[in-house]
Amino acid sequence: MSKVRRYEVTAAGDFASVLAVLTDHLDLRLLSLDEGERSWLDTPTGTLERAETTLEFRRPSGEGTPSLTWATEGRVLVFDPCVSSTPPVYSSDLPDSSAFARLAALVDGGELVLGPTVNSQIAVLACLDDEEKTTARVIFDRSETLDGLALPMMLEVVPLRGYEDEAAALEKSLKRSVALSVSAASMKELAQQGVSTGLDGAALVPAMSAARAWRAVFQTLTDSMTQSFSGVLSGNDPEDLHAFRVAVRRIRTILQDGNDVVDPESRDRFRHEYRWLGDVTTPTRDADVHLIEFPELAATLPPSRREDLASFNEVLLRHRADSHAAMVTELRSIRRAEFGTAWLAFLADDDAWTGCADLADEPVLRIVLRRIEKANRQLVKNGRKIAKKSPAIALHELRKEGKRLRYLLECFAPLFDEKALSVILRPLRDLQDVLGEFQDTEVQANALLELAGELEGADDHSALMAIGGVIEQLGVRSADARSSFSKTFGRFDDRKVQRAIDQLEPRKKKR
Amino acid sequence: MKVLATYNIKGGVGKTATAVNLAHVAAAHGNRVLVWDLDPQGAATFYFRVKPKVKGGGKAIVRGSLELGDAIKATDFDNLDLVPADFSYRHLDLWLDDAKKPLARIRRALRQVSDEYDYVFLDCPPSISLTSESVFRAADALLVPTIPTTLSLRTYEQLDRFVEENPDMVRELKILGFFSMVDRHKRLHRRFMNELRTAHPELLEATIPNSTDIERMGVHREPVGAYGKGSKPARAYEALWSEIQTRL
Repeated sequence: MSKVRRYEVTAAGDFASVLAVLTDHLDLRLLSLDEGERSWLDTPTGTLERAETTLEFRRPSGEGTPSLTWATEGRVLVFDPCVSSTPPVYSSDLPDSSAFARLAALVDGGELVLGPTVNSQIAVLACLDDEEKTTARVIFDRSETLDGLALPMMLEVVPLRGYEDEAAALEKSLKRSVALSVSAASMKELAQQGVSTGLDGAALVPAMSAARAWRAVFQTLTDSMTQSFSGVLSGNDPEDLHAFRVAVRRIRTILQDGNDVVDPESRDRFRHEYRWLGDVTTPTRDADVHLIEFPELAATLPPSRREDLASFNEVLLRHRADSHAAMVTELRSIRRAEFGTAWLAFLADDDAWTGCADLADEPVLRIVLRRIEKANRQLVKNGRKIAKKSPAIALHELRKEGKRLRYLLECFAPLFDEKALSVILRPLRDLQDVLGEFQDTEVQANALLELAGELEGADDHSALMAIGGVIEQLGVRSADARSSFSKTFGRFDDRKVQRAIDQLEPRKKKR
Repeated sequence: MKVLATYNIKGGVGKTATAVNLAHVAAAHGNRVLVWDLDPQGAATFYFRVKPKVKGGGKAIVRGSLELGDAIKATDFDNLDLVPADFSYRHLDLWLDDAKKPLARIRRALRQVSDEYDYVFLDCPPSISLTSESVFRAADALLVPTIPTTLSLRTYEQLDRFVEENPDMVRELKILGFFSMVDRHKRLHRRFMNELRTAHPELLEATIPNSTDIERMGVHREPVGAYGKGSKPARAYEALWSEIQTRL
């Protein structure tokens, strides 16, 4: 008998994005996609579990009738699509058929009790040969307990009898495209144990080891990245991509400041990959910003000139669609799947975080304060060097340094004295806003200039004139940002703020 | 395990369609079902999209050097497996002729999987030969699709006579004839059905209509019930299966 192979999906991404990889990359045919509540039934003494078989009662969400499925090793022995709205209690409640009679015999007249219940999304897919014959089935399952605890996503490969070689080949392809780790437990067992995805991020406390704290921060950020991933692929809401990019940037920063805390080899590898991930999303984010801000910019033109921008708006929309399509291709690439797998495997691997670097076992507060002091020193030093005639690149670099400090403060915020943190963050965020405005307006002006070349008909003078007006407006904003830098930086480079840096360590409470 | 062979001396009467569709119905009811395509044309194998090739050769199964279980391929339907056809089955009579106890060969091969299946459907080539005799010995019942025409009547009676004349060979074999490819608009079909039912009251009540839905099996490459659930022929096969079960 062909054995089902069970995997935990460790790839970053939600159900929809992994499903997209299965259908689009691996050419698996989607046979069914069900959503709803399901419960496992067994006798009080676990007769079915001992017989290595499962009985599921499913209640689909929305309309649809409940069903009962008896299965062994991923193979459905009997499926009744229309049973009573309540699960069977006695074997005599089972539907009347020869197959259920076999189940009744197995249960031997015993009572059936409700086991774990979860909310699930289950996709069944088929791997087809050149005759379009199914050679293996893939069951992709995302479930959460009724109190909302997300269970690890599971993927089962069910080889069909006589097609074991084809199933083995499919498994190889799956492992190349989706981050998987072999799982000994079934979804039923995970539901019974209430095993979470393990990405909940432990609460940060000053005394915990640096490695443990870094890992917890990464887990929280990875969760945030995962939550926005399907939205990034769908492209419906620019906020998803923004949230995704923020999480990516934060992970990069925390990796950068993870020297002597994170395993050096892994740190180098993942810094490189996260940089790539950030880069592949940049053109789409830029295009989003153009589209979001363009109406506001256009509004600064005289009403008669605004209409001239209609054709350019088309160019922006086209550019955004092209950028998004290219980004989705990259995000669904084998490179990203492999990197996602490796990243989650790294986070899940306890050994990779024990004695992995010189300072890994030091208390986190001491380490992170040192890194914050260093980042602050650098920001202050370079900020003081900025003069009216400093090149734009100097401000861009300063913005990066500001981000580094801000992310360190925000990601490890639970460790710090709240008041001191607030004193630092307020002027730091203002400074970042000014530097951001300066850079964004510059980038946007250059991009609009370039995109203007794509206007159909080079004689669209009125549109070109209107764009010129918009770019001029961006120039004004850029100049405003630059002129306000000195004052804003001064508020950060203030004795009170700088003293707060030294006061980040929470004061011990007096007895 | 019950072994049902779809059989008729005459070709083109709907044997393969019967085997494939009844097997699908039986499996959908939760029975564990195996179809063994013994016809070298491999039509049942084609309908299930399986490649017509037995790894190790059909001869090895008959000789007993290959376990039948090793030749089984799962179909796309739960609980429904297939032993595919192999073009070498055209020599099946010769292999059986060479073997010791030829009439027991198919039954012996099936015994290896008797714990795994509730029903086995043997899709036989049209003829009366050593192969058919071996099938008769292995089967619990012959399902005999019969078109209501003169020639079909003749072949049904030939089979009936053969069974009567060879009681040792067929032992407990049940002959379950039924009308297939029935066109109720044809007066001749209606007349032959009436006459045959009078002469052979043992014929099953359920009839399979002549339908383009059944012909489309070759296009869809799956049983009627898979693409035409609730259609007239799908309902006809359900009714036929229901009646067959009462006769077994």
